[in-house]
Amino acid sequence: MREAAPLLRAEGLVRRYAMRRGAFGRSVEVRAVAGVSLTVERGRTLGLVGESGCGKSTTGRLVLGMEAPDAGSVAFEGKPLPSPGSAAWRAQRARMQMVFQDPLGALDRRLPVGAQIAEPLEIHGIGGKAERAARVEALLGAVGLRADQAMRYPHELSGGQRQRAVLARALATEPALLVCDEPISALDVSIQAQVMNLLVDLQAQFGMGVLFVSHDLRAVRQVSHRVAVMYLGQIVEEGEPDAVLHDPAHPYSRALVSAIPHPGRAGQRMVLQGDPPNPADRPSGCAFHPRCPVASALCAREAPVLKPRPDGRLVACHVAQGEAAPGQGILAKAA
Amino acid sequence: MPEAPLPVAAAPPRTRRPGPPPLVVFGFCWLALMLAVALLADLISPYAYTALDLRNRLSPPIGFGGTWLHPLGTDELGRDVLARLIYSIRTSLLIAFGATIIGAVVGTTLGFLAAHFRGLVEQAVLALVDFSASLPFLILALSVLAFFGNSMVLLVCLLGLHAWERYARIARGLALSAGAQGYAAAVRQLGASPWRLYGRHVLPNIASTLIVSMTLAFPEIILLESGLSFLGLGVQPPETSLGSMVGYGREYLTRAPWILLAPAVTIVLTTLSVSLIGDWLRDRLDPTLR
Amino acid sequence: MLRFLLGRIGRAALTIAMVVTFAFVVLRLSGDPAQIIMGADAPPEAVDAFRTAWGLDQPVWVQYFHYFGAILSGDLGRSMRDGRDALVLVTERIPATLALTLPALLIKIGLGIPAGIYAALHRNSLADRIVMVVAVAGFTVPSFVLGLLLVLVFAVQLGWLPSGGQEGWRHAILPVITLGLGGAAVLARFTRSAMLEVLGQPYIRTASAKGVPWRAVVTRHALPNAAIPTVTIIGFMVGSLIAGAVVVESVFSWPGVGRLLVVAVANRDLAVVQCILLLVATTMVCANLVVDLLYGLLDPRLRSAPRRAGA
Ligand SMILES: Nc1ncnc2c1ncn2[C@@H]1O[C@H](COP(=O)(O)OP(=O)(O)OP(=O)(O)O)[C@@H](O)[C@H]1O
Ligand SMILES: [Mg+2]
Repeated sequence: MREAAPLLRAEGLVRRYAMRRGAFGRSVEVRAVAGVSLTVERGRTLGLVGESGCGKSTTGRLVLGMEAPDAGSVAFEGKPLPSPGSAAWRAQRARMQMVFQDPLGALDRRLPVGAQIAEPLEIHGIGGKAERAARVEALLGAVGLRADQAMRYPHELSGGQRQRAVLARALATEPALLVCDEPISALDVSIQAQVMNLLVDLQAQFGMGVLFVSHDLRAVRQVSHRVAVMYLGQIVEEGEPDAVLHDPAHPYSRALVSAIPHPGRAGQRMVLQGDPPNPADRPSGCAFHPRCPVASALCAREAPVLKPRPDGRLVACHVAQGEAAPGQGILAKAA
Repeated sequence: MPEAPLPVAAAPPRTRRPGPPPLVVFGFCWLALMLAVALLADLISPYAYTALDLRNRLSPPIGFGGTWLHPLGTDELGRDVLARLIYSIRTSLLIAFGATIIGAVVGTTLGFLAAHFRGLVEQAVLALVDFSASLPFLILALSVLAFFGNSMVLLVCLLGLHAWERYARIARGLALSAGAQGYAAAVRQLGASPWRLYGRHVLPNIASTLIVSMTLAFPEIILLESGLSFLGLGVQPPETSLGSMVGYGREYLTRAPWILLAPAVTIVLTTLSVSLIGDWLRDRLDPTLR
Repeated sequence: MLRFLLGRIGRAALTIAMVVTFAFVVLRLSGDPAQIIMGADAPPEAVDAFRTAWGLDQPVWVQYFHYFGAILSGDLGRSMRDGRDALVLVTERIPATLALTLPALLIKIGLGIPAGIYAALHRNSLADRIVMVVAVAGFTVPSFVLGLLLVLVFAVQLGWLPSGGQEGWRHAILPVITLGLGGAAVLARFTRSAMLEVLGQPYIRTASAKGVPWRAVVTRHALPNAAIPTVTIIGFMVGSLIAGAVVVESVFSWPGVGRLLVVAVANRDLAVVQCILLLVATTMVCANLVVDLLYGLLDPRLRSAPRRAGA
């Protein structure tokens, strides 16, 4: 029965933030996440892509239970999450871990990395002193660090080495779920590939489910078994990475894909029109319609829902679902 | 006004300084001397600070016609000014250290509580900060002393409250920023208890800023204590502190100014030393603090 | 704007309420108020009568509301020394204190701010060094030491000025100088660092790089922005006009509010102490309120982003 439930299932997550506009103004409500449902299977990776500010990190925090959602639910191994900060929540951290974007910020600069990798073991009371030391050494080896580097302080390591140390710390308790929030975007391009390969290797070794957050579609494809594209707090398309990359169904996904530099495909770039989205001021209907090149009148009125197409791809778009004929986009009409 | 470009803007990023400037070195030396005097008071004091020498009343210090019997002279009861000065230094430093530590502990704890619980707790702490900002500290201290009478413990605790709101503000601000994205959020999501989070991670990380604040608060506390004692409302006889010595010597301002000048100079040099060290430390360790 | 105003006024009222509560709590904690006020050797019947008359036999929270009500209606109790109304006793002394603190405030502002600005504009020059040394000295020399030194030199040695009392304007000179110099030093140091901070900002560098004359950069951009933090500390100085001279009044035997406070504390004349406490807190809160409102006028950023006055 237990195996039947997916590792992580989030249903209709909504998270609003109140943003104060000035000492005299009243607060504006920002819907950072506006109804996200997703599933992470054991040992598999779900990639989550979208541009800055679309709510990826917030989604990551919600599924880890670091904040409670305003609506919707998260089930981990079939059970709802305990409330943030409670003892049960703390104990559960051994099962689910997060890897942050900035490894230097995520490490305490006053402690050697070895002590920080051992910290989750101490917190959750795993093993005795000697066992912990052995475990730290094994973890260092698994992430490709030398045993003697345990004595180094974070600033004495390179960016890639730091992120390896952060990964080792996150994996110390052998969690079942790992949320990686842009784990490579603070790294050098040359090191990004190494860290991603490491992540794939570690997943084969430890068998954890991964939610991989990034704004880089190529990185997501490299590590993910499924990918979800997010726009303004909602998932607009979800499917197999290769399928989404080669044949994006949603106009926003298409724009993302065409933005990937590709030798021999010059001139095909589709540039997004209009302003970047503002979560405090959501457009009516489909949130993407003001920037959409194929928006039709229906798109401005009615929000599309995320539902499977005949080929199994999940898309939230009137046009891609054949409910509306491709229009010219509202910007084109205005011009 | 000069037409020259701004020296501030043009200055290259400051490189490692060779060492503390001479004034700061002086500050450290003076402070070390004061600490040694306070610790060794019983050994180095020539007399008990209450011992009377009725044959040598109001005798002047060396250089003004005095003798080596009483190097800094005596007061009108024939008590040795040097001996009293030594014990006063001990009392004043003890009070100032105790009060500085109390303030730092109380303020930091409240700041962490505010950052950890947010919501009502934070509002309450901020209201308390407002409250202490609304009363000049001397007035607050005087009223409490009026209500409760005087005791050494009360005095130390009271002076300890002097700068608590500064530590509270710093601790809250730094804990919040560490929690937003940085290492504190990371440690929290490892499942660490608040004790571990604040004790093992946040506190060591903000210690340098707190220490700088302590060096800035320390001279203020010495000044407050000496002010209260000067008014006769701080340290009570037979105990003696630098401020009460000045207050007492004031009666003999015209006839025996040395009674007053010795402790006055000590106060000024001590506060000056700690202020210089504090400013220097602030520039070195923590350029963000004003 | 109205919300902002009401919010600040609400905060101020809350703070004053906290001070009243503080006075109440401290008064109760310090022992049996009846016994304290009547004196230890008062006959028990008299103490009991006092207790009933003041409602001290009722539950604490009833007493609390009575206390609050009495204070709101301006009844701050009577001095136990001569039985006079504490509020009258205190307000009588205010002009004498203001006669010292107002001229001293002028000295602080007139001396401290220009010195601080000059030092900042000529950073690391000889003038800057001198201003800084004097400023640090002004901060580290306690006012009673400075006052007594002035007495020693100008009254005792030179005999130019009287050393204490309040018979004419000549008596006020030394205390005013004592108060003014210390405050000017603090203000100069503060102005200098506020100015330096502003001068290091990118917009100042941009303005001077764009070729705006240096004088215009300073007067139009740097000074108004440096004024913002400086206003806070001036607000604090204005707020302490009534009680900022406790030590100096004692040094010069000046019969102001501060002297009254010291005597009242020494005699445990609680009604007078409490009256001064509330008066000072109210002045300070009002001054802070005005500063907060001035901030709103001076700093356009505050109208678009909330921020606590940091100082
Ligand atoms: N604690 C918060 N308080 C107020 N608003 C917030 C908070 N956290 C996030 N937001 C807002 O929610 C929206 C989504 O933020 P989020 O950090 O999830 O985006 P993101 O997709 O991770 O972006 P990025 O790629 O830049 O990290 C943003 O508009 C942000 O301003
Ligand atoms: Mg993010």
